[in-house]
Amino acid sequence: MSLPFPLLARYGFALCLWFLCAALARADTGRLKIVATNYPLAYFAGRLVGDRAAVEFPVPAADTDPAYWEPKAKGVAALQKADLILLNGADYEKWLPRVSLSKLKQVNTSAAFKDRYIHTEGVVVHSHGPGGTHAHAGTVYTTWLDFEQAALQAQAVAEAIAKKRPEWKSLVMENLAGLKADLLALDADLRSAAAAQPNKPWLAFHPIYDYLGRRYGFDIASVHWDTDEMPPPQEWEALKHTLAGHPAKWMLWEAAPLAEVAAKLEAMGVASVVFDPCGNRPREGDFLTVMRANVENLKAVLR
Amino acid sequence: MHDVYLAWRYLRHHKVRSLILTACLSLLMGLPLGLHRLLDEGEKRMTARAESTPLLVGAQGSAVDLTLNALYFTAAATPIAMREVERIAATGWADPLPVYARFKVRGQPLVGVELDYFDYRGLVPERGAMLALLGDCVLGADAAAALKLGPGDTLLTTPDNLFDLAGIYPLKLHVVGVLGKSHGPDDQAVFVDLQTAWVIEGLGHGHAGQPPSPAGAGPFAEAEARAQAKLVTYTEITPDNLDSFHFHGDPADYPVSAVIAVAHDARSATLLRGRYLAPDDTAQIVQPPKITQGLLQNIFRVGALFDAVSLLVGAATLLALGLVFALSLRLRRGELHTIFLLGCGRLTVLRLLAAEIVLLLLASGSVCLLGLEVLHRHAGDLMRRFFIS
Repeated sequence: MSLPFPLLARYGFALCLWFLCAALARADTGRLKIVATNYPLAYFAGRLVGDRAAVEFPVPAADTDPAYWEPKAKGVAALQKADLILLNGADYEKWLPRVSLSKLKQVNTSAAFKDRYIHTEGVVVHSHGPGGTHAHAGTVYTTWLDFEQAALQAQAVAEAIAKKRPEWKSLVMENLAGLKADLLALDADLRSAAAAQPNKPWLAFHPIYDYLGRRYGFDIASVHWDTDEMPPPQEWEALKHTLAGHPAKWMLWEAAPLAEVAAKLEAMGVASVVFDPCGNRPREGDFLTVMRANVENLKAVLR
Repeated sequence: MHDVYLAWRYLRHHKVRSLILTACLSLLMGLPLGLHRLLDEGEKRMTARAESTPLLVGAQGSAVDLTLNALYFTAAATPIAMREVERIAATGWADPLPVYARFKVRGQPLVGVELDYFDYRGLVPERGAMLALLGDCVLGADAAAALKLGPGDTLLTTPDNLFDLAGIYPLKLHVVGVLGKSHGPDDQAVFVDLQTAWVIEGLGHGHAGQPPSPAGAGPFAEAEARAQAKLVTYTEITPDNLDSFHFHGDPADYPVSAVIAVAHDARSATLLRGRYLAPDDTAQIVQPPKITQGLLQNIFRVGALFDAVSLLVGAATLLALGLVFALSLRLRRGELHTIFLLGCGRLTVLRLLAAEIVLLLLASGSVCLLGLEVLHRHAGDLMRRFFIS
């Protein structure tokens, strides 16, 4: 007795489909899972491994600053499932002492230059809208705004991935070369633009540009303003005093300030320049396109 | 067959004497065998635990205390600073797994570890989840049974000294999971994250408001509330006050009792051991298999002494039993003469006596085997309860 061919084909097809699904499920569970605590690191990891690994960036909304994000119990459980946890270091992950994570999976990507961290003195507690208060005493954490340091962080990410998956080493190192070339091109571009007007005084809306200032020779004085709020009169008074001793012509912002703020600054002889630190995933483009736009913005005012 | 039946009837008739003889012979056979069974179990367990922990780094001093502290969470070990963990990691030759076993909670060891320790020992939660936030704890299988706790329960740590008013405040731990049985010392432990252990130690604290005073409003209520608000200690870490918890000082100075160094290969292990040869080094590196071997040698020496004592006691017991038998033969002279008069030969009498001895030996052997079987089933627990811990 022989089975009718259509029946055999149907069962055969179902069996093949089942094997395929099982194989795919196995392949997915064996996939390297990388979690990054800020977008620049997630971008670097993505550039280095492509689709071979699942690169996750757990900070939810684009308007949340990952430096002030804190995982809850469920989020910690998700982090615990990662094979590699990429940390920015420089006191960026302030929540780290309050959660349980594998130390052997953690990689402090800025460890190579930890002797060059910038430490600020004095505690200035302030708030930005309903997000609660925070202070900027301690270590400046926006390490990647010095593109040379960003390249070192990318290198640390590459080495950690290669250690985890030695079979990917040549590919990752090849991709690293391309990524470093892009970052160092930005670095060279900005250095040559900044060299035209060395040690010029600048203002910054927030104390996050210290590494940028150090690397490219900008003498930056910071205020603690927000992009979508009109600063109170006493802040303007304080700014007048600052400008008296620090005659800046440009003020760095992470996003365009309110039109009336920009106009008031213009009236004081200070132009607003956007330099987005890109700590979180941008709404458009990626880390490199945002940084290229930042460099172009600076070059435009430095010409 | 009649000999055996008559011997059985005789032994049954003299129940007390037969039971005493059976007990004496059982102990005589069982004691040395039982002791050796326990020693074998102890050796197996200690060797397995030590071999799974090839290198340990701890403070200079007793290597035995260091090994017992890190492997069995017993014996106080002098703490070392966390920077030792970084020192090992920086070599690139081994993965460091810090262990802080200083406190006890309701009789169970409270062990501060990092999550990697659970991966290393193959410990996974059987119920609930793994440690996630500061103040969480997971229980070993036996600790959960002893404390009668499970996920969702809370557990208050025990202060070091009840009369030390400025001492460490107890912390209410949240039980988030119970680990599967590992048949080792991990089953007895209450595990917390290293950072939680440091909060218990008093190195970390929060700065949120205290609960309202039970005294209510009164002339001193406001002053009391102010005084309480200034207190910087907490008895419970909750989602509301979690953000305020922080640590002071350099984390590299924080204490751990030992660091398990998981070397990547034999060469790395040798190189790492070479790093701890300086005589003025405050830390030492030990090889638990060697330390355990030393301990076992001492146990075997005690075992050999016990064998000698058992031999002497056995010989004395056998002589006493011989005497009992000889005296009983004298007492049974009339009975044996009656058997002879009934027409039984001397050989039949000897066969009857031999059957009695065989029956006694069989009964003693059975009791001994039964005892050994019970011991075999509980050897691990007995070893851990009375010898290792």
